[in-house]
Amino acid sequence: MEKNSKIFVSAAICSLLFITLFGCKKESGQKIEQRNWQLVWSDEFNGSAGMSPDSTKWKFDIGNGGWGNEELETYTKDTSNASTDGNGNLAITAKANWVTDHWENITSARIKTIGLFEQSYGRFEARIKTPWGPGMWPAFWLLGSNVNSVAWPQCGEIDIMELRGQKPNIINGTVHGPGYSGGAGITKSFAFENTRFDVDFHLFAVEWGKDYIDFFVDNTLYEEITPGNVTGNWVFDHPFYIILNVAVGGNYVGYPTSQTTFPQKMLVDYVKVYKQAD
Amino acid sequence: MKKLKSICSIAALVTILLMAVSCEKKLDGLKLATYPTTADVFIDGFSTGLYYAAYGTSKVTAFNVDYSVKYSGTCSMKFEVPDAGDPNGSYAGGVFGANPARDLSGYNVLTFWAKASQPATIVLVGFGNDMGTSKYQVSLANLQVNSNWVEYYIPIPDPSLLTQENGMFYYAAAPQNGRGYTFWIDELKFEKLGTIAHANFGIFNGHDSIVDNVETGEEFQISDFYATFNLPTGVDQKSNLSASYFTFTSSNPSVATVNDLGLVRVADTGSAVITAKVAGTGAKGSLTISVTGLKIAPTQPAPVPTIAGNKVISLFSNAYTNVKVDSWNTHWQFSTAENQNIQINGDDVIRYKKLNFVGIEFSSQPVDASAMATFHIDLWTPDTTANKTFKVKLIDFGPDGVYGGGDDSNSEISIGSPPLSTQNWISLNIPLSSFSGLSSKSHLAQLVLSGDLPDVYIDNVYFFNDGSTSPEPTTAAPVPTFNAANVLSVFSDSYTNVAGTNLNPNWGQTTVFSQVPIAGNNTLKYKGLNYQGIQLGSSQNVSAMSFLHLDYWSASSFSLNVFLISTGPVEKSYVLPVPTSGWAGVDIPLSSFSPVNLADVIQFKFVGNGDVYIDNIFFHK
Repeated sequence: MEKNSKIFVSAAICSLLFITLFGCKKESGQKIEQRNWQLVWSDEFNGSAGMSPDSTKWKFDIGNGGWGNEELETYTKDTSNASTDGNGNLAITAKANWVTDHWENITSARIKTIGLFEQSYGRFEARIKTPWGPGMWPAFWLLGSNVNSVAWPQCGEIDIMELRGQKPNIINGTVHGPGYSGGAGITKSFAFENTRFDVDFHLFAVEWGKDYIDFFVDNTLYEEITPGNVTGNWVFDHPFYIILNVAVGGNYVGYPTSQTTFPQKMLVDYVKVYKQAD
Repeated sequence: MKKLKSICSIAALVTILLMAVSCEKKLDGLKLATYPTTADVFIDGFSTGLYYAAYGTSKVTAFNVDYSVKYSGTCSMKFEVPDAGDPNGSYAGGVFGANPARDLSGYNVLTFWAKASQPATIVLVGFGNDMGTSKYQVSLANLQVNSNWVEYYIPIPDPSLLTQENGMFYYAAAPQNGRGYTFWIDELKFEKLGTIAHANFGIFNGHDSIVDNVETGEEFQISDFYATFNLPTGVDQKSNLSASYFTFTSSNPSVATVNDLGLVRVADTGSAVITAKVAGTGAKGSLTISVTGLKIAPTQPAPVPTIAGNKVISLFSNAYTNVKVDSWNTHWQFSTAENQNIQINGDDVIRYKKLNFVGIEFSSQPVDASAMATFHIDLWTPDTTANKTFKVKLIDFGPDGVYGGGDDSNSEISIGSPPLSTQNWISLNIPLSSFSGLSSKSHLAQLVLSGDLPDVYIDNVYFFNDGSTSPEPTTAAPVPTFNAANVLSVFSDSYTNVAGTNLNPNWGQTTVFSQVPIAGNNTLKYKGLNYQGIQLGSSQNVSAMSFLHLDYWSASSFSLNVFLISTGPVEKSYVLPVPTSGWAGVDIPLSSFSPVNLADVIQFKFVGNGDVYIDNIFFHK
């Protein structure tokens, strides 16, 4: 899967090169119809340094226990784990102490809009600079608002951006649902050949309609998932809410090592949600 | 993948051609001093201009081109690390250089693939070694390799500096547990990768070093230069750098300056912080120095020795031919001493700074001082000497002539104030007999100087025997004049002494005790004193008395204390200044011996060194 994606990216870059060569200005990626988006919800994170995220927009997940993935971190609502940085960004900070031969007291933050903002369909985007290093697992994702009534994966999950810190130039876009959850999620990776997601901000987005979910990095479409792609029922037909978090360790990413550097920050410039205009 | 890559290359080539065609103007006739920007070092053979030079002490045949094992293409670089003890060289190492030099400023990393015949740790790999000044070196220490091909990265700290670089690659590899192994390197080339990120730099391994009490004229070398880069694998990798990648700044150039290579020169009193940057990025670590000013040093040389050279075994003196001394500062564990060789009016002097103790070793040719009588050393200190001591220890390695073996012996003499003196040369002549713990003087191998004077200058360190017997008083102690009614006497020809007193109780001392007539007057002689007791015939109540009187004489003692002891024992010492000039008489207030019970005095004790004569020990009102 990964190998295919690399070839895809390489091919894309080659084709870009040719296009540049021949002076073609037009984006020749997969064609999608022009969509007319209207902003309905956003957080620009313009608070002063050290402010907790806006409580009218975000709630916290608190605690540890692995979150179903054998993760190591304890999520807190402490401003040392989640706060605006005074430069227009939200910083979610993973912290840890090196004790003899391993990391201890690993804390981080996970914030969510459940009960505050939920929406079905539309464009969900965030401009993010990722953390890095083995065991670092930042994510920007959506979860079905009915998670507490129908449970996961029936509720559906749309991972707009997930990154493994030991591969700082690759992100994945994934959907999980009944019959295609966990390791069987429908996923595709997007890789930079010559830069990384932790050295600058990049825009991660999905555009979600009744029968498609399109994944974008910096407005480049790299994945389209339709009911025909999923190996189970299409459950993306009800409101979802937004989650931002930095997990540490676990069965998706592996564990932090002596070569991991703490603290690590995921900086989020903004999160914006649009609805398609009629 | 490979095919796509070559398509890309063709595309890039076309781009370059297009650019060349559209070039606006050529600077005909002007030839800029530029160097080739060739990126490849070894892909499938030596790149243009590449040469190999093995280290002279290595196994020079260790490197070969291998056409069977390779990561890609047709061949790889093979390095056969020899076994330990290989007569042709016991390690592999060398330099791959480029002639002409190359302009690497357009790249940011040297990359290669490597594998080995077994898991192994390559001592060092890097670039920037040109077998000359090697100004811009970068190296990775202890590179872990195994039997799988793995890609490695050596980032360039500041590519803009590498416009004329000869050193393409260098390595050193040693046997693993004594046995050789083989490793291969392939696709060795410089690249510009956007996936190398998060540069950090440091000096002193990132530590903030603080040095106090620095003297004008001192120099410090900034060291332990490093960079860390986050690799495409997400891990931070530390590399070791040469100083030239850094620019150094002194916060106070009038106090300390720092040159391009990180050498700090101290110019004046005050404080200064030395920091560094690489390509505008601040480096972790610093050097903060507090300068106290010029050192306080003797302005006059030590007195010139007058003893004939044939009566001397000299360790350090301009007046004599010195025997071989292996080290004037062995830097033994826990020693903080720093030594400097300085000259005062042409006379060589050794200075010890931060002296807690210093080991001086002459064991390669031990000194036979069995025919010598005295140890001499001249000493100067800027430090206050009140209540301070300076100690001289001699160590003899015994008949086997080597350290250990159960036949070593040592002895230490402690010198008080006086004779210690601030900012004056003092000449110490210590009878070798005073070193009572030395069972032999014929294999002296070490000298240890210690004490609580942190700053000393020494000169004229020698053993001698000028034939003079050890001096003794030629006149009797003065006859006391106190009225016997007011006296309680322990030892005096002038009074009735406490009956039954033991003047030489066996308390395990090594002191040679005797009573000698000096000009007809009975006198106590403590030869080679370490300690010596006096057991009174019965407990004495001296609470009606006011003073303890003593007469004493010593030309060779550098430490002497008298103790008064009551039942318990409860004891208290009193310092007797030594050496003396003729007989010294003291009347010590008995209050000085608190908390000794003056109603129940049972013993005396003398502790010190040298040969000491004592007379007229009595209490009086």
